[in-house]
Amino acid sequence: MNNLVRAELFKLRTTSTWWVFTLATALSTAVVLVIDCVQAHSLFKTFPEYLALESHGNAADIPPQFLARIQADWQAGHGVLGQAASIYTAGQLIGVLLACLLGVVLVTSEYHHQTATTTFLLTPRRASVVGAKLITAVIVAGLFWLLSTLLSLITGAVFLASEGYGTQLGHWDVVRAVLLNLAVYAVWAVFGIGLGALIRHQLAATVTVTVLYLAGTAASSIFELINTYVIQQDWVLSAEVVIPSVASAVMTSPLKTFTESPPEWVGAVVLTAYGVIASLVGTTILRRRDIA
Amino acid sequence: MDDGRLTVSGLSKQYRGVTAVDDLSFEVEAGRVTGFLGPNGAGKTTTLRMLLNLITPTRGTALVGGRRYADLAEPTRIVGAVLEASSAHRGRTGRNHLRAGCIASGLPFSRADEVLEQVGLTPAADRTFKGYSLGMRQRLGIATAMLGDPQVLVLDEPANGLDPVGIRWMREFLRDLAAQGRTVLVSSHLLSEMQALADDVVIVAAGRLVRQGSVTDVVSSLSRDDRVIVETPEPERLLAALSEDAVVTAERSPGGLLISGASAVQVGRAALRAGVLLHQLRSDQPDLEDVFLELTHDKAGIR
Repeated sequence: MNNLVRAELFKLRTTSTWWVFTLATALSTAVVLVIDCVQAHSLFKTFPEYLALESHGNAADIPPQFLARIQADWQAGHGVLGQAASIYTAGQLIGVLLACLLGVVLVTSEYHHQTATTTFLLTPRRASVVGAKLITAVIVAGLFWLLSTLLSLITGAVFLASEGYGTQLGHWDVVRAVLLNLAVYAVWAVFGIGLGALIRHQLAATVTVTVLYLAGTAASSIFELINTYVIQQDWVLSAEVVIPSVASAVMTSPLKTFTESPPEWVGAVVLTAYGVIASLVGTTILRRRDIA
Repeated sequence: MDDGRLTVSGLSKQYRGVTAVDDLSFEVEAGRVTGFLGPNGAGKTTTLRMLLNLITPTRGTALVGGRRYADLAEPTRIVGAVLEASSAHRGRTGRNHLRAGCIASGLPFSRADEVLEQVGLTPAADRTFKGYSLGMRQRLGIATAMLGDPQVLVLDEPANGLDPVGIRWMREFLRDLAAQGRTVLVSSHLLSEMQALADDVVIVAAGRLVRQGSVTDVVSSLSRDDRVIVETPEPERLLAALSEDAVVTAERSPGGLLISGASAVQVGRAALRAGVLLHQLRSDQPDLEDVFLELTHDKAGIR
């Protein structure tokens, strides 16, 4: 197994895949970091200042209902712990998608470049090959997390200190968010392996993963519609956590990500379940499928 | 060399409604080159892939030295296979492709350099696969198969895309391996090439075994003692003399006049009797291609 993991890592290292993914991880983290810091900068202000900034100086014209809503937003985002956690895990937004795509590529490139034949000739015990790919995906996802986290820690620490809050790294809630973020990366990478096995066409699998990930936002409005028209109970909104990207956010955020969001462990359970199912499905498919 | 014997018994593969391989049984001996012949769609590739655990048989077994490929402890040291010319990542160099194989099979990197040398690919070793010609891709495939210095070599249409020099090289390479006592199984539909290369043949058509044996035996099984090629300035007089003791037909062929229905002895005797001058007289010996077409003509085609 050790040899197979080393072989997989070597295969990644000897094509352009690794630097494309590394570059994408660094760039996306940087972009999200800028957005998060700018947002935090305005949320850290007092409410009247924040209101003036958000309304471009027309605060007096805002109807009371809207005013209440803006105040709720400010109250949710004003806390420094939440902001610190969100800045230190800024890479997650696109990073987990990249980790997932890496898993997809690890499997689909075997079909795309017809190397599956060579791979399974060298190692006819297919379960070992899949196992090696799962471990490789987790290792590399971990490296992506490391890169993204280092960028976030440097930027975030400088930013928070300049706002007068120190680094906030002494708080367990913040450190825990950063560490749990690693688990999120790992699960998404495993998820990618399963999806790659399911949809072996590289382009189709890549598009599917991206769409599914981005559709997370659209899916949450479906839960709201169900809540409004079908079952008017709060648990429907909490059930949003079954969307993998929502589960990831729930798991790493020390505060509530949305009003009815369930506790962090629910996010962790949902995400782990997805990971286990994906790896079982992937292993089963890759073991049985004829390589023709 | 019992380790190198391939045993296929009762092997079948059905895809939705189509029987690709149908109760196929044959054996391949070590120390010989065995040609695996059949028309397109005869099930050759499917059979080889079942032997190598890439395709799961519907029924039957295909064993290497008595064991399934999946059960071999160190498969690369027992079997090397070249199944398709384009099975490497386009963006990876030939050397790195081989090194990945070394890592996966627990071999030192030096094996990659050795097999590159063995197939004459060293000058192109550090170029990426996408720049390789078809011939270079075949050589890289063979290099990959040779990584574990295997006892058995299985090749699917290895001559595809090779130029005459490459084909000559391949022939000598495979003959050498067989001479070292290894098992060499080569599928092909280039029959003249197979006649030059193979010791034994296994002929399949429509997924079934048609004939198995040494090339000599299989060719001579299509006996054509009653077909004779002659060259004579007086064909009419010869045919008239022949028709006294046999019913013959004659047609022009590139080698001379092809007479069917009489043996060389009969033609010679008739010529002597009639005083006809002969420039050449020989039996029309069939070659592998004749035998192949004879054996498979009613089983070929799209199924």
